[in-house]
Amino acid sequence: RRRFPRLRTVEPLEYYRRFLKENCRPDGRELGEFRATTVNIGSITTADGSALVKLGNTTVICGVKAELAAPAVDAANKGYIVPNVELPSLCSTRFRSGPPGEEAQAASQFIADVIENSQIIAKEDLCVANGKLAWVLYCDIICLDYDGNILDASAFALLAALKNVQLPSVTINEETGLSEVNLKQKNPLIIRKHPVATSFAIFDDTLLIVDPTAEEEDLATGTVTIVTDDEGRLCSVHKPGGSPLTGAKLQDCITRAVTRHKEVKKLIDKVIKSIKPK
Amino acid sequence: MPLDHRRLRGPEESQPPELWAAGTGAVPEKEEEEDAAPQDPCALRPLFARAGLLSQAEGSAYVELGGGTKVLCAAWGPREAAEPGAAAAAAAAGGGRLLCEFYRAPFAGRGARRRPGSAAERDAEREAAAALREALEPAVRLARYPRARLAVSALLLQDGGSALAAAISAAALALADAGVEMYDLVVGCALCRLPGPAAAWMLQPGEPEERRAVARLTVALLPALNQVSAVLGGGQGSPPDDWAQALRLGLDGCHRLYPVLRQSLLRASRRRDATAAAATTTTA
Repeated sequence: RRRFPRLRTVEPLEYYRRFLKENCRPDGRELGEFRATTVNIGSITTADGSALVKLGNTTVICGVKAELAAPAVDAANKGYIVPNVELPSLCSTRFRSGPPGEEAQAASQFIADVIENSQIIAKEDLCVANGKLAWVLYCDIICLDYDGNILDASAFALLAALKNVQLPSVTINEETGLSEVNLKQKNPLIIRKHPVATSFAIFDDTLLIVDPTAEEEDLATGTVTIVTDDEGRLCSVHKPGGSPLTGAKLQDCITRAVTRHKEVKKLIDKVIKSIKPK
Repeated sequence: MPLDHRRLRGPEESQPPELWAAGTGAVPEKEEEEDAAPQDPCALRPLFARAGLLSQAEGSAYVELGGGTKVLCAAWGPREAAEPGAAAAAAAAGGGRLLCEFYRAPFAGRGARRRPGSAAERDAEREAAAALREALEPAVRLARYPRARLAVSALLLQDGGSALAAAISAAALALADAGVEMYDLVVGCALCRLPGPAAAWMLQPGEPEERRAVARLTVALLPALNQVSAVLGGGQGSPPDDWAQALRLGLDGCHRLYPVLRQSLLRASRRRDATAAAATTTTA
């Protein structure tokens, strides 16, 4: 396959169009093909649960730390899940150091929406004592290498890390009213749903390509992310502006997302099973 | 604590569960300490280093110390200095600038989660970044890059003790991987002295030892040139001979770690050559 390096630098869109005409992309993938996905669970021992996900070059790590706090006054029987997506200057030259920029904030909000819409964990399950004590799950997602499709990688890392979390058992002593934590007895979190995100880039208002790299994202005229649930159910559609999509095209996206969900679920189950003997 | 409007908010305050584990948790901790006591103070923890693993940075390195310190570092070669004016005076003195950053992941420490963006966190990061710059500057040939700036960004993923030393080694590897001209690699080594009258200095302490230590020291060495680029540390006072002995122990540790880092750099450049060769054969 010829590369045309000068065309790639000078007229990247034209370069891409030549490939898209043949229904493929410069890295050899088809329009509906994901990059090689790998997941590694439990590598950060200081975190209560962790996962490292790679989608091609894009690398994202999620660490979950569980702490105890008093529940909010208006939600006395609910715990908290606080996601935080960081795009440090380390992952790409497009990000400067300092407080989270626009993209990081948007990604954090997206993850918060995924948690809320899919009910991946029922916040009631995180409550220890009504009105007095509840768990707070701080989910910190840090991008280590930014090559596009940060949303899919972050959602996947979050799901894998949460499946890895082991919470110590907490009891409230009836007589003293104080909480007692037993660090030796740990229970896994109750994961109710398994949301999986599938992102597409829209090219020239018509073509949809799945799992865009950073280069493809820059050339795209729009993006759309579909979040699916278990049993092929649609959880949410995230389409922040960009080119309009016909209903038929959206349906294609949803179909592809459902297939992707099965692939991801299989991968997670395989990894969880491989670390089971503890 | 002032509200951070750019991050999603959780509860105002939260505590790690270990605080309430007083009854059952304390006993196993003591057992851990007794097991750890008879440890050879000159033993080096196994070090794993790999360069050239990030796609978006010109140079990168990952260093892992056995027992759990994980540092990832990225470096970028010479780029135009961002600010004219104030920097012009410094640049006029000749040579480029080395900008270092040090981030600690919120889940890196055992115990409470560090809140990113808090003032204490920013101060600690700034201190560590300054220490990193102090250790790396003597090794980089800044005179070769006038009016340019070289950037280094280190991320601590897990703190298992000796974090700054590992970061120094990783940063030097990343700079070398980026093709920046250097006099030598910088190897970092940490030491600490535990409480007690006859306590000796210990190389590469783990996290529990670092917490209990009364004196800590990090040395950075350019092994081939046998020049020390930075000595950082402090703690409880002791006779100068004691500190001199600690320094010698640290430098010896650096010399022993040097071959591992060199090997990883060689392997990374071989890998890079192999992929470049593969790419050119497909275009031909």
